[in-house]
Amino acid sequence: MHEILNDPIDVVVQFLQNRVRPTHVRWGQRVYDLKQVNLVHGAREGRKQIFYFSVSDSANFMKLRLDTETLEWRLVELYSD
Amino acid sequence: MAIGRIIFGLKNDDSNGRVTDPPLRNRYGQVCDLPTTNHPMKIIMHIDFNSFFASVEQQANPFLRGKPIAVAGKGRNNMDGKPQDVSALRYERSIVTTASREAKKLGIKTAMSTIEAKQMIPNLEIIPGDPRKYAEITKRFLAILRRYADSVEQFSADEAFADVTCAAQDYFGAVMLAQLIRDDVAKECGAYCTASIGIGPNKLIAKLAGESVKPSGLTVVRPEEVEAFVLTRELQDICGIGPRTAAHLKELGIESTAKLRETPRSTLVHHFKSYGHFLYNASRGLGPDEVQYERVPEKSIGHSYTFPYDLETDIELQTNLLALCDKVAWRLRKGNFVGSVVSVYVRYHGFSGNGAHRKISVPISDGLELYKNAWTILQEIRDVHAPVRLLGVSLSSLVRMHAPSSLFRKDQKTAETIQALDTLQTRYGAGIWQRASTLKTVMLERIGGWHYDHELSESRSKIAS
Repeated sequence: MHEILNDPIDVVVQFLQNRVRPTHVRWGQRVYDLKQVNLVHGAREGRKQIFYFSVSDSANFMKLRLDTETLEWRLVELYSD
Repeated sequence: MAIGRIIFGLKNDDSNGRVTDPPLRNRYGQVCDLPTTNHPMKIIMHIDFNSFFASVEQQANPFLRGKPIAVAGKGRNNMDGKPQDVSALRYERSIVTTASREAKKLGIKTAMSTIEAKQMIPNLEIIPGDPRKYAEITKRFLAILRRYADSVEQFSADEAFADVTCAAQDYFGAVMLAQLIRDDVAKECGAYCTASIGIGPNKLIAKLAGESVKPSGLTVVRPEEVEAFVLTRELQDICGIGPRTAAHLKELGIESTAKLRETPRSTLVHHFKSYGHFLYNASRGLGPDEVQYERVPEKSIGHSYTFPYDLETDIELQTNLLALCDKVAWRLRKGNFVGSVVSVYVRYHGFSGNGAHRKISVPISDGLELYKNAWTILQEIRDVHAPVRLLGVSLSSLVRMHAPSSLFRKDQKTAETIQALDTLQTRYGAGIWQRASTLKTVMLERIGGWHYDHELSESRSKIAS
């Protein structure tokens, strides 16, 4: 199942050597323990800098969107094996 | 150890007090005594990602690895915030821009329609393209190349030429650089993003070598091996010989590179005009070795779009043409351009089409003005009985300046409004405003992104008309 979403989420991150690494995601009532950060890429929306984190746990791929202006995290893509 | 070209300081003063460029240094830090231009024997590297868009998707999503996937030409559209099941998205009017290695093994080819691909492999996963992700990987890839090479020329989103004559000094050094580039690509772009590398004395041979072993090949063709190597390749393997040229050559009885080499230059020039010189040289492995790192200035800016269903009514055509014109106009104003030649291209249901262009008296950069001119052209060339599959509009004869101001208050007010809307778009991004009349138009993001969309060339319009 591959879904495109736009849901607000809570994210726990680690700050390691000038890098941000998401470790846990709470989406609705569920908490996902992330295993891997596979790719991080940035994009601009006007002057706003957005970062996308492609992360996965043992069963799901998630694309997380971080708005650096509002510091809001959203789940924008979900793929479940 | 520092590898690649190292530049100390910005400029040097020579003994006469003149400012000179800093010396180029090779990978050992030694001053390179090889002139980087007009060198009799250059070392050119061609780097090409394997199944680029698909590999980036597989890098991002580990659950796609090892599966046959195809990245579709039309991208995702999650701007409205509603959940969308990707497998249920419409792909009827889209093509496979990249197939994964696994899909290629099963016969899926680039530019195949997604419907055809799905019929061929029912379990093929079609992934909507994500241009921002690919643009970022391209940026990282070019940064890696610039770290090692004397000069770099981007050939496409996933391909580049690098002149490594000075940085490598010899073919052994070039192989070493290729391995370092590959390691850095794996580290900075992801281990699933692999590239094929070809090394040769010119761009033609480097590309031919790179494409001879895929995926993840590293092929070196030394100058003394060029003539023999070319004979091992098919005619269409040579960059610049496409299906139409190959068919023309076949009509002349030329079906192999060996046969092409035997053909006198005069015969090729007689049949292919100046292109005959290229064919004559290519069969001998001769090609350009100048790696141009300067960006070629834009000659035209345009957009074309294949609609999800054929457009039949004037109102549908008008609103969609206006939406396209607004996209073109925003790109023009962002680059501080005005243009004075409007081109329009239309393709019908049966894939026939026509186009035309017209010079206008006052250069423009406003979407509505562009639309008015484009609509006039479209009405003249359009077959009113044929449903429209694709529309394209472009503006050429570009000049870098602001649009000339009008004497009339009404036009001045329009210009002020556009300026205010541009400020909004610069601050919040494209798509922050839309004309009410275009609200019903839905244009999915293209694989190359709207900023990188292909342009309608004048020659194409002329051919079509």
